[in-house]
Amino acid sequence: MDGELYESSAEASPVLDVGCFMSEFNDKIYHPWTLKSFIKGKYLSKMPNLQNHLPQVSYDDLLIMLQYKKWQSEEVINSYFDNPDQLLKACGLPFKWQESNNTFDLINNFTCPICCEDYIEPTTVYSLACNHKYCLQCYNSYISNSILSGKLIKCIEPSCALTIPHRDIDRILKVEEPNQLLNSYAKSFINQSTDQFKWCPSTDCVSFTEMIKNYNADDIDEDYESNDISNIPIVSCIERHEFCFNCNFENHLPCPCFVVKLWIKKCQDDSETAHWMDANTHNCPRCETSIEKNGGCNHMTCQKCRHQFCWICLGDWNAHNAGFYTCNKFKDGDTNSKDYEDKKAKESRISLKRYLHFYKRFAIHESSMRGDLLTLKKVHEVTKVYMEDRKNQEKNLSWNDVQFLSDAIRALIIGRKALKWTYCFAFYLKNGNFTEIFESNQDFLSKTVEDLSEIFEKIISKKNRNKVETIMQEKNRIINLSDLIISRKRSLIEGAIVNVNEDLLRFNT
Amino acid sequence: MSLKRINKELADLGRDPPSSCSAGPVGDDLYHWQASIMGPPDSPYAGGVFFLSIHFPTDYPFKPPKIAFTTKIYHPNINGNGNICLDILKDQWSPALTISKVLLSICSLLTDANPDDPLVPEIAHIYKQDRAKYEATAKEWTKKYAV
Repeated sequence: MDGELYESSAEASPVLDVGCFMSEFNDKIYHPWTLKSFIKGKYLSKMPNLQNHLPQVSYDDLLIMLQYKKWQSEEVINSYFDNPDQLLKACGLPFKWQESNNTFDLINNFTCPICCEDYIEPTTVYSLACNHKYCLQCYNSYISNSILSGKLIKCIEPSCALTIPHRDIDRILKVEEPNQLLNSYAKSFINQSTDQFKWCPSTDCVSFTEMIKNYNADDIDEDYESNDISNIPIVSCIERHEFCFNCNFENHLPCPCFVVKLWIKKCQDDSETAHWMDANTHNCPRCETSIEKNGGCNHMTCQKCRHQFCWICLGDWNAHNAGFYTCNKFKDGDTNSKDYEDKKAKESRISLKRYLHFYKRFAIHESSMRGDLLTLKKVHEVTKVYMEDRKNQEKNLSWNDVQFLSDAIRALIIGRKALKWTYCFAFYLKNGNFTEIFESNQDFLSKTVEDLSEIFEKIISKKNRNKVETIMQEKNRIINLSDLIISRKRSLIEGAIVNVNEDLLRFNT
Repeated sequence: MSLKRINKELADLGRDPPSSCSAGPVGDDLYHWQASIMGPPDSPYAGGVFFLSIHFPTDYPFKPPKIAFTTKIYHPNINGNGNICLDILKDQWSPALTISKVLLSICSLLTDANPDDPLVPEIAHIYKQDRAKYEATAKEWTKKYAV
């Protein structure tokens, strides 16, 4: 793409408030897109200029020419002035373009040569200037089958080279969303340009991101075990989902891409084992009742015996807050066994136990994230109902007063995601003094995240009669904790980057 | 929708049958046909009768029918399983094409092979390097499997 092209697209893009993200890895410049903004910015934005130069040609025909010339408007203008007939023919347009004769006719007694249906009642048929008529149902099936390639679509008759205009395609497909063909065209273009564009990997997210400069896919060879995590191209999509442009996985900092790959493979290989179930249910450490966690907070209270414990290490919750919060650290001593098994069996047991220690925490934060999202959805509903209720009353509470909630949601998700990946990071880390620093940073972040998660859980608790009041009471704490999560997450990752670069933290892979 | 169209093609084949081929349903299932092609006189396949199986997809005619030779044949564009490499059976398919037109295209493929886009590279190589040897083998196979 040339420079001019990018500039025009940048103007057309409605998203420029992502500047704060762009600076997170500020030597890499990227552009988040939606399909709609991309089509508008890169394709349709060429039309006004073209219409100025070729006012005698209809919009539909110009759009076909533009797609044929791969969106190079200069090419269209030059070819047109060079030899209009040749261009029209190549694009599948009738020579007398003024009389472009595409029609939707309502006719009686029609037999469609494709489906062989005899229409006695009036039915709509479509035909181009060639007058090859087919029923609308057949055109609909034909276009639905051909559109995926994104190429211009011709008349059904194989010997006929006429092109169906974009507008007619939308009309035949009867869809609300316009530019169906351009949608397919853009999708297939993006799929073919993976060095430059990546789809956001988040579930149900259909946006994508363009890497503009200072990124070279060859710099980060996936197989080369690069420890330099400062170079990982974390980008964000238009929905603000952060992901790695290199491995097209969610933001996995502080882990380098190759560690992520190893970890994912390991988790897949071991996922069939019964141990995986460990992460999903626990027995209450006091009364042994089976418990499944359905929220995000890891501070559990057994519904049967009222025992309070930590979901992660199953230790007493009081001990957590009072003294040594050590549930994030792996203690070799845990695996001391008194029986007389041979060394090898013991080693493999330790290694499995070690893996489970980290996997469990990785998986818990992942499922806690889902739980948090559910909780936050409920909080959002509570405030929405409240705000609508308040409209009639003259209470001085505005949307600005609850804006902090969406920041808190983001902070909580960011914190959980970073925490999740720190366990993958720690699994591959060699023991050393700096490992302990890393673990204590991890511990700080973990505490803050749990505190915030707990507040939200308290808000939507069934026993809480006045949810909105609780939100307002806790407002300052929520804001403080959100800020704290962001800054602790930053220092955790920055610390990891520095220590890995200076070889103070080493991977054991 | 596809049934009506398949019935129409069957009726057309009965009313105006092509000279060198025939086609029709195998049993009660209209989506599964059998076809036969006479080896074109100006080709090494002359004198042979080749059978093919035809499966119509449910979204026929918007997707191409699946056609394969059930008689063994020595040809650069037809492999040991009877699969045919023909553009109109793949990306060049058009809903306006019919079984009759496709069978005629297969006939002309027998006369004029396309060794530049081969399905069996070994046969294509012989076709290009030693045409006499190719014709002899094709004749031999026709005699062995298709007469």
